[in-house]
Amino acid sequence: MDINFSKEDIAFRDEVKNWLDNDYPKHVKEKTDKGITISKDDLIDFHKALSKKGWMGYNWPVEYGGTGWSASKLYIFNKELGLAGCPPILPFGVGMVGPVIYTFGNDEQKERFLPDILEFNTWWCQGYSEPGSGSDLASLKTKAVLRNDLDEDYYVVNGSKTWTTLAQNADWIFCLVRTDNSGIKQEGISFLLIDMKSPGIEVKPIITIDGDHEVNSVFFTDVKVPAKNLIGEEGKGWTYAKFLLAHERFGIAGVGASMRQLNRLKEIISKLENSDLQKKVNELEVALSAIEITELRLLSALQNGGHPGAESSILKIKGTEMQQSLSELFVEVSGEYALMYPGPHGYENNDKPAGPDYAAEGLSGFLNLRKTSIYGGSNEIQKNILSKFVLGV
Amino acid sequence: MNLDYNDEQTMLRDQIQKFCESEYDFYKREKIVKSTDDFDPNVWNLFAEQGWLSMPFSEQSGGLGFGPIELSILFEEFGKALVIEPYLSTVVLSGTLLDKSTYSEKNQLIEKICSGEIHISLAYAEAENGYDYLSPNTNLDSKMILNGTKTLVLNGANSEKIIVTCIKDDILNLVILDAKASGVSMNSFSTVDGQSCSEISFENVKIDESNIISSGDDALNLLKETINLASLCICAEAVGCMESCYHKTLEYTKGREQFGQPISSFQVLQHRMVDMFIESELAKSLLIKAMLEVNNRSDEMYKHVSALKSYVGKSGKMSAKEAVQLHGGMGVSEELMIGHYLKKMISIDALFGNADYHLKTFSS
Repeated sequence: MDINFSKEDIAFRDEVKNWLDNDYPKHVKEKTDKGITISKDDLIDFHKALSKKGWMGYNWPVEYGGTGWSASKLYIFNKELGLAGCPPILPFGVGMVGPVIYTFGNDEQKERFLPDILEFNTWWCQGYSEPGSGSDLASLKTKAVLRNDLDEDYYVVNGSKTWTTLAQNADWIFCLVRTDNSGIKQEGISFLLIDMKSPGIEVKPIITIDGDHEVNSVFFTDVKVPAKNLIGEEGKGWTYAKFLLAHERFGIAGVGASMRQLNRLKEIISKLENSDLQKKVNELEVALSAIEITELRLLSALQNGGHPGAESSILKIKGTEMQQSLSELFVEVSGEYALMYPGPHGYENNDKPAGPDYAAEGLSGFLNLRKTSIYGGSNEIQKNILSKFVLGV
Repeated sequence: MNLDYNDEQTMLRDQIQKFCESEYDFYKREKIVKSTDDFDPNVWNLFAEQGWLSMPFSEQSGGLGFGPIELSILFEEFGKALVIEPYLSTVVLSGTLLDKSTYSEKNQLIEKICSGEIHISLAYAEAENGYDYLSPNTNLDSKMILNGTKTLVLNGANSEKIIVTCIKDDILNLVILDAKASGVSMNSFSTVDGQSCSEISFENVKIDESNIISSGDDALNLLKETINLASLCICAEAVGCMESCYHKTLEYTKGREQFGQPISSFQVLQHRMVDMFIESELAKSLLIKAMLEVNNRSDEMYKHVSALKSYVGKSGKMSAKEAVQLHGGMGVSEELMIGHYLKKMISIDALFGNADYHLKTFSS
C-alpha cells in the first residue's frame, strides 16, 4: 500500500499551484478571498485564464483538445483549485454537454461546438429539471415535434424547464425533450441543443432563500430548433443523460473547497476558546479526512484498472453534507452577528461590516448550499442508487 | 498510489478468514465464552502454528517482522468473528512493548510468546487516572518496593508475567514481575464482550533492578507507541465488526418476510442500511490512513489513530445499534451474533480512550 502521489503527480501539483499564484486572475482572487460574489465577467475571465493555460478541457481526452489527465491529476487539479478558493468551474459546457457531444455527436457538431467550449466563447446551461419532474427526471414533459418546411427539418419545442442555473447568462441550453409518448417514459426522450436567442424562449429569475438570482425558469413557446441540433438518435436521450450524470459524479465531493472552509473555521475557532465549537470543528475535520481518503481509494481503484461504481454516490452524499455542515458552523461561530444579513453578495467593498467579516458570508453559504443535497440527483436518490447497485435490494 | 492490499496481505487475510470460518464460528465462540476458561488453549496453539503469534515481532527476536498493516488485517477479521482470545494483551500490548525495549530477557520471553507457551499482561490503567496512562500513582520507591493498584488488566488471570507502569523518582518506569510474586493480589472478572480482565494490587512487592524494562523518556515513548498500536488494532477490529453488522443485517432483511415481502424491500430500511455501508467505508478509509501512518512511524501517527478511534467510537456504535434495530426482536437475543457486536463496540470505545477523549487528543 502506498498513499503517496507519484513524482510526476507532485510536479503537476506544483505546476497547478504556480498557476494559481501567478495566472489566476488577481481581481477574481481578491473578491473570492473576501467572500464577495463575483460577476459574470469575473467568471468569464477565470475560465478564459484556464483556457489560455490549456486546462479548460481538464476532463477531456487529448483527441478533442482536452488534457487527457489521469484520475490522480484530475483529483489534484480539483483539490488545489478548491483550496485556493477558486469559483467552481462551470460544469455545463466542459463537464456536461462537451463529453456528450464528443461521445455521441456527429463530426459537424463536434467542430461547431467543442472549440467554443474549450475557449469559453459559449456559456451553456442545462435543461433537465421541469416543474413537475424533479428527482423523477424521466417523467419530463417538454415536447419536441419534428416538422418539415421548405426542405428544412426542425423541431418545435413547447414546455418549460426549471432550476436552470445561470440561464440568464447562457448562450445555449442542452435539453432533454420528449419526442415520443407511446412507450415507457425513458424511451421517448431526446437530447437537443437550443440557441438561447431563439424566438419563443423566455427566462424568468427564481430568487432563492439566500436572496440570490442563480436559478431560473425557462419557458419554450413554439421554439424552432434545427433538426441538426439533435444529438445522436431520437429517443436515445436518456442513455446520453445517464452517461452525463456518471461523468459528473467524480470530484463532486468538493474536498479542496471544504478543506479551505475547514481551515478558516479552525483559525477562527482557535481564537474563541470555546470548547463546544472546538469539538464540532474537530468532528468535521475527522469526517472530511474520511471523505478525502475514500475519494483516494476510488481513485486508486480507477488507476489500477477498476471502475468507480455506485460507490461514488458515497462521495456525493457525504461531500455535500460536509459542505452544509461547514457552512452551518460558520453561522454558529458568528453568534448574533449572523442575524445581520446583507444579502447573498455580502458587504460591498465600501460598506462597514457588522461584526466579524465572516459573519455575512457564513449565512449566505448556509442558505445557498441547501441546494447541494438536492441537486445532481438528491441525496435520497443517491441512497436509492446504493440500495440497488451495492446492497442489491 | 495504491490503496489495495498486496498479494501477500490478501493471502494473509484469506487465511485468517478461512480459519475463523472453520475453527471459530459463533457456536464455538459461545462455548468458549461460557466455559470456565477465559479462552481456548487449543485455539491459541493453532494461532501459534499458523505463525500469527510471531507476526509483529522483529526478525531478530524470532518474529515474522510484519507491521501495523498485517496486524490491522488480522484484527479486522478477528472483529468479524468476535474472537476473544487474548491476542491484544499478550502479543500486542506486552509482546511488541518487550520487542521494542532493551530488556535483557526479552528474547526468551518473545520466543515463548511465539510458541504460545506464555501469557504476559500489561498493567497500564488505574482507576483514578482515567485515560492518562503516563503518570500513574503506582510507586516504586528507592528500596525497589512497588505499591499501587492497577485496573482493567486484560487477561491478567492467565498471565505468568505482568508488566507494570509505575513512577520512580518522579519518572515513568516499566517493570516486569511474576504474577505470583509475593504481595501481588488479583481480582478477576469478565468484560461485557467476553474477555477476561483483572484488578491487581501490588503491596510491597520487591522488584529486582534487572527487571526494569525501561525508564524515563524511553518508557514514555515505549508506552505511548504500544498503546497507539493497540488502539489501531482494536479500531481495525471495530471496522471488521461494522462490516459484519452491515452484511449480516442486509442478509437478514433479504430473508425476513413481513406483510408478504422481504423487509429489505422497504425504502426506510434500505436507506438505513446504506448509512451503515457508508459508515463502514468511511471508517475503513480512516483505518487505511492510520495504519499507513503508523507503518511509516510518521510524526502524525498519534493524530491519525486518534481521528480513527474517535470516528469508530461513534460510528461503530451507530452501526451496531442499527444492526440490532433492523434485526427486530432477534437483535436483542443472545442466540444471535448481532447483539454481541454491540457489546464489542461498547468495549472498543471504552478501551484506550473513548471517542470524546480522542477527538480532543486529535486537535491538541
